[in-house]
Amino acid sequence: MKLLTHNMLTSHVKGVTKGYPLLIKATEVKMNEVEFNPQFVSRMIPKLEWSALVQAADELGQRQDLPGELVPDYEKNEDFLKKVHRLLLEVEVIEGCLQCPESGREFPISRGIPNMLLSEDEA
Amino acid sequence: MHPHKPYAFVTYRSEECARKAHVHLNGEKLQCGGNSVTLYLSFVDSEEASVPLPEGLVLVEDFVSPEEEAQLLAAIDWSSANDDITAQKALKHRRVKHYGFEFRYDNNNVDKDKPLPAGIPQECLPALELCVRNKHINIMPDQLTVNQYESGQGIPPHVDTHSAFEDTIMSLSLGAQTVMEFRHPDGRLVPVVLPGRSLLVMKGESRYLWTHGITPRKFDTVPACDPQSPALTPPDVRTHSNLTLSKRGTRTSLTFRKIRHEPCRCAFPSACDSQGAPSTSPPSPPSLPRCHDDAAQLEEEYVHRVYDAIASHFSSTRHSPWPQVCHFLSSLPPGSVLADVGCGNGKYLGVSTEVIAVGCDRSSALIQICAERGFQAFVSDALSVPLRSATCDACISIAVIHHFSTQERRLAAVRELVRLLKPGGRALIYVWAFEQEYNKQRSKYLKEQNKEHPENHSPINKASEDSHRPVDNIQDVSKVTDGKLSVHTNRTSFNTQDLLVPWHLKEGKRQGEEESGEGVKKEKRKEKSKNDDSAHNTTSAPKSESSPVPVFHRYYHVFQQGELELLCGQVAGVKVQSSYHDQGNWCVILEKDSIEMN
Repeated sequence: MKLLTHNMLTSHVKGVTKGYPLLIKATEVKMNEVEFNPQFVSRMIPKLEWSALVQAADELGQRQDLPGELVPDYEKNEDFLKKVHRLLLEVEVIEGCLQCPESGREFPISRGIPNMLLSEDEA
Repeated sequence: MHPHKPYAFVTYRSEECARKAHVHLNGEKLQCGGNSVTLYLSFVDSEEASVPLPEGLVLVEDFVSPEEEAQLLAAIDWSSANDDITAQKALKHRRVKHYGFEFRYDNNNVDKDKPLPAGIPQECLPALELCVRNKHINIMPDQLTVNQYESGQGIPPHVDTHSAFEDTIMSLSLGAQTVMEFRHPDGRLVPVVLPGRSLLVMKGESRYLWTHGITPRKFDTVPACDPQSPALTPPDVRTHSNLTLSKRGTRTSLTFRKIRHEPCRCAFPSACDSQGAPSTSPPSPPSLPRCHDDAAQLEEEYVHRVYDAIASHFSSTRHSPWPQVCHFLSSLPPGSVLADVGCGNGKYLGVSTEVIAVGCDRSSALIQICAERGFQAFVSDALSVPLRSATCDACISIAVIHHFSTQERRLAAVRELVRLLKPGGRALIYVWAFEQEYNKQRSKYLKEQNKEHPENHSPINKASEDSHRPVDNIQDVSKVTDGKLSVHTNRTSFNTQDLLVPWHLKEGKRQGEEESGEGVKKEKRKEKSKNDDSAHNTTSAPKSESSPVPVFHRYYHVFQQGELELLCGQVAGVKVQSSYHDQGNWCVILEKDSIEMN
């Protein structure tokens, strides 16, 4: 699971209103090399929930010097875009789980795949 | 050596050695324990000259005269048999008629308390009396099943239910000859030629333990006219040049049985349903569910478990993205967030490199394939997608919603797609169409007869954007009888909307492997009999018959014209932007209202 995907995922346990963002508990993290496309990253940024990305980066110890707020004029800031690119597309959680911040329910991540299936009573 | 037989074949290095052995050993008495045993040696033409018939099996040729044969055939009244004759023909099944008691194929047993109005026809009595005189039977049978086989039809290997019928079962073959194959649990296979007008008597081991069946074929490999004994088929094609192909014609079999009223106490408990062996009755077909729980259960068994089991093979047959879907994806602005709900093997996740695509599917096995391909995907149910509302610029759901077994669930799936969309966002939905023929164009699904396993291919796209207006009233298509779901025969038109579609599993192939090598064309194989190099050295049936391919059934609700639009029309805040028929699918593009109405 890449952090781009994590940024989109939410807890959908019945009754939960504050299920986003999911907490990441990673036991295995992998770094991939992905071709950097500044235009693509620029376009992704407005679609993101920035604070959730920062939180995720912190949880994985990958924050480095990522700013807590979006910098203005980021489209031309290649340095910044590279940092975002790395976090969103190159960091991958292989094993671990995602935890609902409200209910505590854990969704396993195995071989890079989050299993978000709910049981009968949770749905 | 043949297992459990008191004889063996010995080959000597030279004729001289063989003669010496014969002289010295023939007639020799041996001591075995406290018993004296005599050894007899005889020369044979070839080791495989005689394959013994299964124990208890007797074949009597010329049991009835040609005149008697004609009389018997005339005595069978087919007019009322198998009510749905057109279905029979369409399904290419043999014709069946019962007298005395009806044999039921849903539980492979007989209703002993419900005798049929018609007993065994009078015309059969002379033949049956002959059976008694010749001591094949002691008691007159009270049940008759008539089977009529056209060329290319057969009956799968089976043992006649122990608890239903007494020991002796007699089958009179009228019309064309055929080859019946007997199989022992230890793997032995004995093909037996059944000439016209012959009587086959099955008793004991051949009735209780060996299975018998007729491979659906148009030609059989039989010994070239040995008028003395055409019945015993020499098994080794390589050493016998006196084999020929025998073309099948219409064969009618009259199988006479005696209903059993006490539990079976045979010596073959492993095959005996009275003595604890599992009944061979096919599992009862599922019914159309009436509530969410039943629906979820049906889908678990006939959708989710199936896809997890067939994932690899399924994925290998789903390699070409459909052009119209690609067109939709390419039209999305760069940087769009796309959710593919029911993404399967990720076929569409990589089509557009400009969009941010994420897929989800209920099958972990299929999601695993997505991950291997480098796509971002997660496991979830389409009815509850763990993405926040209004976060997607576009959604696609291709060949997914037709797997939901109630209208409510199908509606809920559409609602979930709409929930994910941002205002102004668009969703593309494809579902399998009831109408496989549209605008007089048969879908590729119907047209392709020769593929690997026809049902393993879904309708393939061909761009045909028809201007099409929604239909106001949906035709009253025949509803599923008793709520029971029937199994669809592939490459034929649908006749109900709710059905089970077979999938014949082959070893899954990964992408990159030759697509043309994907399995062997089953139709072709049926025509040839294949040489089996196993120790049994038999002219075994084509591999597809002797080692059956596992079949899975997937539940589908196929949509009628206009039905998908009507369904989407029930969802607030969204409009049908376009709707069309695409090679056997009904398709809609939905657009979420730009301003959220509340």
